Amino acid sequence: MVTFEHVSKRYSGNVNALQDVSFHLDPGEMVFLTGHSGAGKSTLLRLILMLERATRGQIVVDKRNLGKTPSRLAPRIRQRIGMIFQDHKLLSDKTVFDNVSLPLMIAGMRYPDIRKRVRAALDKVGLLSKEKSWPLMLSGGEQQRVGVARAIVGMPPLLLADEPTGNLDPELSEDLFVLFRQLNAQGVTVLVASHDLALIRAMGQRVLVLSHGRLVDDIPACDVGRLRP
Amino acid sequence: MSLRQIRRKIRAWGRRQLYSFFSSLGTLLSHRLGTLMTILVLGIAMVLPLGLYVSVKNLRAIDLEREEWGTITVFLQLGAGEEKVKTFAGRIGQERNADVVTVSPEQGMEEFSAVSGFGQAIDMFEENPLPWVLQVTPRQVENEKFEETVADLGAWLEGQDGVDLVQVDYKWLKRLAGLLELGDAFVTVLTVMFSLAVVVVIANTIRLDVASRSDEISVLNMVGAGNSFIRQPFLYSGFWYGLLGAFLALLLLNLSMFYLQRPLTQLLDAYGNTFEVMGLGGRGSLLVLLAGGVLGFLGAWLSVRRYLRQFRLEDPPRRS
Repeated sequence: MVTFEHVSKRYSGNVNALQDVSFHLDPGEMVFLTGHSGAGKSTLLRLILMLERATRGQIVVDKRNLGKTPSRLAPRIRQRIGMIFQDHKLLSDKTVFDNVSLPLMIAGMRYPDIRKRVRAALDKVGLLSKEKSWPLMLSGGEQQRVGVARAIVGMPPLLLADEPTGNLDPELSEDLFVLFRQLNAQGVTVLVASHDLALIRAMGQRVLVLSHGRLVDDIPACDVGRLRP
Repeated sequence: MSLRQIRRKIRAWGRRQLYSFFSSLGTLLSHRLGTLMTILVLGIAMVLPLGLYVSVKNLRAIDLEREEWGTITVFLQLGAGEEKVKTFAGRIGQERNADVVTVSPEQGMEEFSAVSGFGQAIDMFEENPLPWVLQVTPRQVENEKFEETVADLGAWLEGQDGVDLVQVDYKWLKRLAGLLELGDAFVTVLTVMFSLAVVVVIANTIRLDVASRSDEISVLNMVGAGNSFIRQPFLYSGFWYGLLGAFLALLLLNLSMFYLQRPLTQLLDAYGNTFEVMGLGGRGSLLVLLAGGVLGFLGAWLSVRRYLRQFRLEDPPRRS
């Protein structure tokens, strides 16, 4: 589903965000990406979303080589990826329903279909009763779940999350990770960037460890116990 | 691509348009005060050239037929006898190849009291104070020599015995026509300048709009919206601004015309003219609305095109 081959990303000013990173995610896998802040987790996700281009190396997402994909096709790549942000990135002047429906509006879907899909997505994150609320009326955990609903409403084959539990208390964080595992069980490939090591260990999935822009460890699910804070 | 796929794509495109259309309306309505002020500025900017255009159009409607231009009015000295007048008229007809209409003092008085509304005041005169009047129009004149011929005839008439005053109408009519030409030119200049102003005002409004919604744009960008989807609502907003501005301009124009109608009609009545003030008419108004919308669209397009470039996060693809 996602393949990195010797990928480097250098920002202007000689900042090496990623150096020679290689890994492969199979379809249907669930993988955590960890490392201290500034290790390059966000950059890696932005590269997959085609918000940035790699300076060197090759990235293949969903069988498409991003380095050879013209910019104008970037929206089509992003439509096949669900993205969840630490700060939710909801539009505060739109209702929960309108926020979640955005990807479907962009796809130009029929309104009755949109309504069905949005309510199904909200139901999955347990917020069906809040569809007419405004994002600012919701708690942090609820807003994050609205973000998840928006990410999954288009039924993308790949789900990315960037520090999704950054603003949540431990209990809500665990709920969210359990939700990710449910989605993964339905066949969605999930890549979650997080530094919540205790929780990652509890989930028992494959873990990629970044440090100073390098991939320093790739721990298989069976061996996740050796992940040390 | 099969026909069915194409059809599906067109439908999806239509739904996106519909979405942009309503979301742009929603944005305008949610910022009522700002929208209102922008529209007010636009309306006033548009009503100036429109007002001048309507004024010139009305002046033009005053009958400026060519044949009447050439008519010279000759006032004879008081006390001239009817016979002498008829002979003179006949002589002009023969020698100068012109049509002559004679108006007796009695006819003149009748016409004057009917038209001017001074009937009672005129009754106070014991004698008729009006002279004989001849209306002389040159016959079969080529266009180029028209002015010369009329001026020549006027000079000759002035030299004749028993002539008190010669009035050559074409001079002031010509001046009026010249003024109208100038008015037309002014309308053109004002239209160009104020259209530019409308485009700039809308471009600036949309620029601020885009800037204040940069968060929203970056979110849209990340959830897979293409440039056109991001651009569309702003273009519609521009269209709405232009259309509503034009609508307000028409409203202002009609209000001021309504306000001016009564005094203007009274004034023209006093000059013996029946005159209906003309507005833009249905087609003209429609055209103004359309032009407003198009200008708004253009302003928004200019602004958004320039501004959205900075949200394009990735480089063009590298050639490999």
